[in-house]
Formats: sequence, structure tokens, C-alpha cells
Amino acid sequence: MKEKSYKRSKQISNIIVHAVLAVLAFVWVFPVLWVVMTSFWAEKGSYVSTFFPKSFTLDNYIKLFTDTTLLNFPKMFLNTLIIAVFSCLLSTFLLLSVSYCLSRMKFKMRKPYMNMAMVLGLFPGFMSMIAVYFILKAVGLTEGNLIRVALVFCYSGGAAIGFQVAKGFFDTTPYAIDEAAMLDGCTRWQIFTKITLPLSKPIVIYTVLTSFISPWVDFIFAKVICRANADQYTVAIGLWRMLEKEYIDNWYTCFAAGAVLISIPIALLFLKMQKYYVNGTGGAVKG
Amino acid sequence: MKQRLKRLTALLLTALSLLSAAGCSSAGASGEQSIRLMVWSASEDQSKDSGEWLQTCCENFAALHPEWDITFVYGVADEATAANTVSQDPSASADVFLYANDNLTVLTDAKALAKLGGKYADEVASFTSDALLESVTLDGYLYGVPFTTNTWYMYYDKRVFSEEDVKSLDAMLEKGVVSFPFVNSWYLPAFYFGNGCTLFGDGTQEELGADFGGENAAQVTDYLIDLIKNPNFVVDDGGSGMAGLRDGSIKAMFSGSWDSASIREILGDNMGVAALPTYTLNGETKQMYSYAGSKAVGVNSQSENMVAAVELAVYLGSAEAQRLHYDLRNVIPSNTELMDDPDIAADPVVIAQNDTFDRTSKLQPFVPQMTNCWTPVENMGRGIRNSSVTHANAVEQTTAMNDAMNSDGIS
Repeated sequence: MKEKSYKRSKQISNIIVHAVLAVLAFVWVFPVLWVVMTSFWAEKGSYVSTFFPKSFTLDNYIKLFTDTTLLNFPKMFLNTLIIAVFSCLLSTFLLLSVSYCLSRMKFKMRKPYMNMAMVLGLFPGFMSMIAVYFILKAVGLTEGNLIRVALVFCYSGGAAIGFQVAKGFFDTTPYAIDEAAMLDGCTRWQIFTKITLPLSKPIVIYTVLTSFISPWVDFIFAKVICRANADQYTVAIGLWRMLEKEYIDNWYTCFAAGAVLISIPIALLFLKMQKYYVNGTGGAVKG
Repeated sequence: MKQRLKRLTALLLTALSLLSAAGCSSAGASGEQSIRLMVWSASEDQSKDSGEWLQTCCENFAALHPEWDITFVYGVADEATAANTVSQDPSASADVFLYANDNLTVLTDAKALAKLGGKYADEVASFTSDALLESVTLDGYLYGVPFTTNTWYMYYDKRVFSEEDVKSLDAMLEKGVVSFPFVNSWYLPAFYFGNGCTLFGDGTQEELGADFGGENAAQVTDYLIDLIKNPNFVVDDGGSGMAGLRDGSIKAMFSGSWDSASIREILGDNMGVAALPTYTLNGETKQMYSYAGSKAVGVNSQSENMVAAVELAVYLGSAEAQRLHYDLRNVIPSNTELMDDPDIAADPVVIAQNDTFDRTSKLQPFVPQMTNCWTPVENMGRGIRNSSVTHANAVEQTTAMNDAMNSDGIS
């Protein structure tokens, strides 16, 4: 009798939990589905009265890549990809190096640096955007193709501030391993590349992911630095332009198509790196 | 390391100077002066699909001026955003750019706009109407060459409404569904202006503030509360007006020249365009008034080739350039000489836009205080739509709106 009621209450709570989860899943997935659906709309216009398109089409995607005289999406996509890849490499390197130094080396400025970084990290990055613009202009990076270089610097320049998580991870690797390597004649650089990094795959992956995504989706810096240089626009600016009053009626469905497309590289990165990502919190050395 | 950095910098600098030298290499072989002009306009002006208006005009201009060897540098900044981009850093902005006149003070505050005077001002005045000139004049100085008006009016289906009907909103509501951007504060004030409300006196007297309160404004609020309950009156929000026109559920909507191509595609020969109708308030006929502005060619005050830049600006606003703009992109010309042109004079959109500008519009004020006037009006529209503004509280809600419009920011 008792067992039965236990089973029953278990069943009821399962039903409730699943119902709640279903609702939440719907709430989270719905906007994504909606954008995907909109990207296949054959009808024009920005006002959508039904969830499912009345007729499906791939024209929106085709238009994005062929109708390039007004808004050159392929070029923007390429710009963004170049910028994101280079800032990802640069900022991953910077961030991991700084974290490693702060975790392994004891020097006088260590504590003050960490405090300073903490305080600076409290301010949103775009507070400095006008100053950053004028500095880049003074260096001569705000015209032509150099804008891409400028954007890479913008996105990776502040990377070292966000060392906390990676440093915490490196701290979990016993120092004894480093000492053993040193006894075998390893230099600091060799310890870093041959021992610490391989042991810290999850955090490396995490860093790569986050430092790829932030330039990939950034709007503010790209807008401030690109200004009127349409050939240097990134995807975020292009998508924003599609929603302006002159374009929205013709470009709304293309906007949705563009939104779907930009999520693809991120989704691929996540899928590819997920297995490392999941055991990220496990700590460095096992067994 | 330091040494290497130095060398790298030197290398970069050399490369840069070489590049910039290449940019203006063709220095006057035949005694002509070589100059570089940066020009910004919307991307449609420069796209191949719509005929490269900007490039064509600039080349024509260069041909007219053999004394200069001009290298043009084109950039993309549409009229609505150009002011912000230019004022961010005038020294690194275009010499000549197109801007919307509601941003005039943004530009003058940044000291980014050159004043036009002397023969140039006279030339501009010779082909521009006074109302339009006024839209780019501040403290008596002319700040640009207007090339089109910027306002909204009414598109309708000729099969449903006759030319007589479209003079009165009430007559239209009896015959078909009318869609109006009720929750957009660029449109909603039309009704308030109709009953004697004003913004900053004649639009320039900042000290007078907004007068959207009082008895007459409350009457309009009352009217709007009833209007939105009319089954033939539909709120146009997020493109629903255009969608309704497309599927036939809506017969008239309010918008501007930017939607004319899409609407022509939907309605074809049945597309009617007209200035704003009147509405009936407590038995009296009141005219609706839209905001009107202009788009103008501006010259950067920090331009290094001021004479050429001003000449180019005047050329871009001239009859020839406006004619081309109209042919290529349907930009409604404002040049008074062009109004006699049979093609242009027969275009219903041109007629409606000019009629609206002359007769049923108010010049959109560009005093800085104006920035406080948008949100309260939008909130009023939303309040009426969701029934939080009722006949019972119309007076106090209208007063609250007026107070908010006259307050500085957050209150």
C-alpha cells in the first residue's frame, strides 16, 4: 500500500516536473523556431500574422547572397569571420597566458594587478568606445582595410582582464607537476604549452568559445569604428540596417535568414567542442 | 623587442604614407588643382541596381569643373544617421553629406556644418521654396541645400474611396478600413495639431515649450478614445498596415515616399495618394497635420577644400541632380523649376507630398527640447489602445503627457 502511494506520488511529481519543463522548453525554443520559420516566408513584409508560412521558399537565403548591391551580406559575413577568428586566437592566447602567469608566478605586482583588473572589469567596455575610437584614429587604423585590424584589437585588447575563471582552473593543477617538469629541464613556456594546456582542455575550449562569440555578435564597437565604410561592415551592422524603415519591408525575411546563418558557425563550434565543455568543471588532474 | 617594434612602426608608417601618396598621385599635370572629396549618402544612392546616383552626379560635377582634379571617396551614411556619424568626429567625416533636417542641431552643436552664404545662398534660394529653406535655417544662417521634403501622407485604394471621400477621415471610415500608426509619435500628434496644439510656438521658440495640454488637447484625447473603438479604424503597428494592404483587409494607410514603391506594387493603378484628411471633433471639421522636414546636402565645416565642397553640395541639390534622383530612385524633388516638368508634375506621389508639405503639415521643430516630446506621445497612443486612458481620466492623462513633454528627461 505504502509502496503504491510512493509510486503514485512519484508519478504525479514527474508529471508536474515534465509539464513545467515542457512549458519552459516551449518558451525558450519558440523564438528560435519563429525566426527559422520567418526565414522561409515567401510573402513579403515585416508583419507576420501566422506562425507557419503560407508558402515556403529559399529565396530569402538566395537574395542574401546574390542581391549584394545594397547590402553586401557575403562580404559582411567574411569580414565578421575574419575579425572573429583573429580576435579569438589573439584573445585566447592573451587570456590563457595572463591566467597562467597569475596562477604560477609570484611577483610583486600580482595582487595589485588582480585587484585593478577586478575593478576595471566592473565597467562595461563600451564606456570607453569614444576614447578607443580616437586612439585608433590617431594610430591611423580607422580607414580602409585597417578597420578590421582595429576591430581585432578592440575585441582582444581587453581579454587579459577576464582571467579569473582560467586562473582558478590552473590553480587546481598541482604545482608538483610543474616542479617535476622543471626538474626534467622544462622551461616555463614548455610547461605552459606541453603540460598545463593539455591538462586544461575544458577551460581552453571555454575561452575559445567565448572569445569567438563576443566579436561575432558585437554591434557597438563595429558601429562606432566602421562609421561610413560600408565595405567593412560586420554582420551585426548589416542585420541592423535591414530593419531600418527604408529596408524593412523588403528585407525583413532576409533579416531572419541572416540571423539563422550567423548562428550556424556558433552552433558548429559548440557541437564540436561540447564534449570538452561539459566536463569543464571536473578539475584538471584525475586519478 | 623594442627595436623590432620601432622597425615595424616605421614600416607601417612608410606603407601608410605610400598609400596616401598613391591616393592623390595625379597631381596637376596641366596646372589643375588636385583635391580629394569625401561624399556620404545612403547606400541606395550608390548601388548599381538603382543607377549609382551619387557616382553619376559626382562625375558630372567633375566634368563641369576642369580646374579641379577631384578624387572622390564614397561612404555610406543615410540621411537619418549621417548627423550622428558626422558629429562623432567631424574631422574624419565626409566633406559633403546628406542629412535629415531634424538632426540640424546635432550637427550645429558639434560645429560640423558649414554655413552657406553669399552667391551660394542666393543660388539655393533661387530654386527652393521659402518653407523648405526655413527647414535648414538656424539663427538666420543657411546650413545646407534642401533636395527633398520628408513627411507622411495617405495612400488609399481608389476602388474603395473617391477623391471626395479622402478629404474627410469620417467619410473614409464609413466606407472602408483605415489603418493609422496610432502608437508612433511621429504620426499621432496629427490629431492634436488639428485642434490648435502647438510645439515651441512656431517651432523655433523653445521657451514656449509644448502646448499639448489644456481643454483642446483633452478633447482630442476623448476623440481618439472613441476613434480607436471604430471597427473600421485599425492600428498600424510593426508593418501590419502594409500586410493588411497586401491581403486586402486594409484599404488606406499612412506612410511616406519610402513605401510608395511597395504600395504601387500592391495596388497598381488603383493606388491613390492624398494629403491628410480632416476629422470631425464635436461637430467641427479639423485638419490633421503631419510633421514635415527636409533632407539636405550639408558641407562639413572642417573640409579642407571648402570651395569645391560647397560647389558640389549646391550641384547635388540642383535641378539636374534632383531630376536624376527622381528618375533613378523616386526621390521626390523639391526644386521649384522641376515642378513645371510634366512627368514630375503628373506623379500622384509628388503631388501628394508637396500638397502635404504646403498645406497639411507642421515643420518639425528641431529645438533640443524636442527630444523630450516623443515618448510621452507614444505612451498616450499606447494608453488609449490598451484602454488605460479613458473618458474618465482623459483630462489628467493629457495634462500628464504635456507635463512630461515639457520636463527635462526623466521625471
